[in-house]
Amino acid sequence: MRGFGDLEAVVMHRVWDHDGPVTVRELFDELARERAIAYTTVMTTMDNLHRKGWLARVKEGKAYRYTATASREEYSARLMREALDGGGDTQAVLSHFVDQMDGEESEMLRAVVRRLAERRPR
Amino acid sequence: MTTALPLFGYAVAVAWWAPALLGRLTAGGVSARLGLAAWLTAMASTLAAAAVALQFLARSAVDGWDRLAEMVCRSVSGQPCTATAYQGAAVEFAVAAIAIVAGLAAAALAWRYGRSVQRAQRQARAHADVARITGRRLPGDDRAVVLDAAQPVAYCVPGRPATIVVSSGALALLDEPQLGAVLAHERAHLASRHHLLIALTRGLAAAFPAVPLFARGAEHVARLAEMCADDAAARRSGRGTLIAALLTMATGTAVPAQALAASACAVAARLQRLAEQPAPACRARYALTLASVTVLLALAPLLTAGLASR
Repeated sequence: MRGFGDLEAVVMHRVWDHDGPVTVRELFDELARERAIAYTTVMTTMDNLHRKGWLARVKEGKAYRYTATASREEYSARLMREALDGGGDTQAVLSHFVDQMDGEESEMLRAVVRRLAERRPR
Repeated sequence: MTTALPLFGYAVAVAWWAPALLGRLTAGGVSARLGLAAWLTAMASTLAAAAVALQFLARSAVDGWDRLAEMVCRSVSGQPCTATAYQGAAVEFAVAAIAIVAGLAAAALAWRYGRSVQRAQRQARAHADVARITGRRLPGDDRAVVLDAAQPVAYCVPGRPATIVVSSGALALLDEPQLGAVLAHERAHLASRHHLLIALTRGLAAAFPAVPLFARGAEHVARLAEMCADDAAARRSGRGTLIAALLTMATGTAVPAQALAASACAVAARLQRLAEQPAPACRARYALTLASVTVLLALAPLLTAGLASR
């Protein structure tokens, strides 16, 4: 465990793995089985995630029941759109390993590779 | 005035002639790092010469201010001046106006550019934050996360902390050494702070679209930065592995035709360069030429200013 940010990821993945709403107590019980962690830490983390818009909550008796505002898949899809959609501000800062290309371009590339392979038999 | 003109002349000459020369020297990406240095030095040298010229211009405007003021006073109080005095004043006035307009334009451009960089950085930070929570840890690299997405995608987001994003689609296609090459490539981008170079040169291209050095320099810097990162990855993982990784990632799946047609050419150039390593003697010759051009570009504004102010 490195920082607070990591704990947010751990908590979010737990919430996503649950089918229904989950309380701080339930999540704390799960996490406490695997690591030394304080109840208040889990509570603060979930409160932060709620404040940042990751978690929605409804009061039930004395405790809140938390649900994720969007699924993991929805977040992934949104990130991919942001990363692949050319011309955006974010796009200007990301360094892609290779640019995406369509079928015709892939064919062009394969042609280059064939040419290289012919020139230098191994 | 006499110092400003040669400096402006130098800046214009480099801005219009250097792109063709540097473009040819760095086309194949032999000594990518030196090529990158040459382009950046040419840009810095042009900017420095123009800035120093501007400063000389402003200073000569300030120096002429007393005479201008004196002449205005005399004219107002009914003592006419000679025609040469009026001509001199007109020149002083024009110089002052040029210096002020150029100074204001430079300030406005810098401000607008700073804002757009800031906005991009803020959005990138938000992107990385979401990726770090949504993604799963990639064992072996504590900066890398895996996102669930079918497309083979890998990219890095600079910032604190920097984040490398790999899609599950990419993980499914790459074998372990190839994944190592991809990560090494992205790590090299982060370690060399390529995003800063790219942001800077893109900003210059946007600010001076009519100046060939800046308009064309941005894409060359981006291209050479990719090749530098390729070199780092090839040193770590071997060229064969990197070539395989590039091919896999580039042709893995057909993506809707919204992507740039240039991307295939760019990847092809990177592949060709990795596959056809030139002979050491040829590399050395390229390196020597690039290094001398770079040194020349770095020293030239100083020499011009020195000679002109004699």
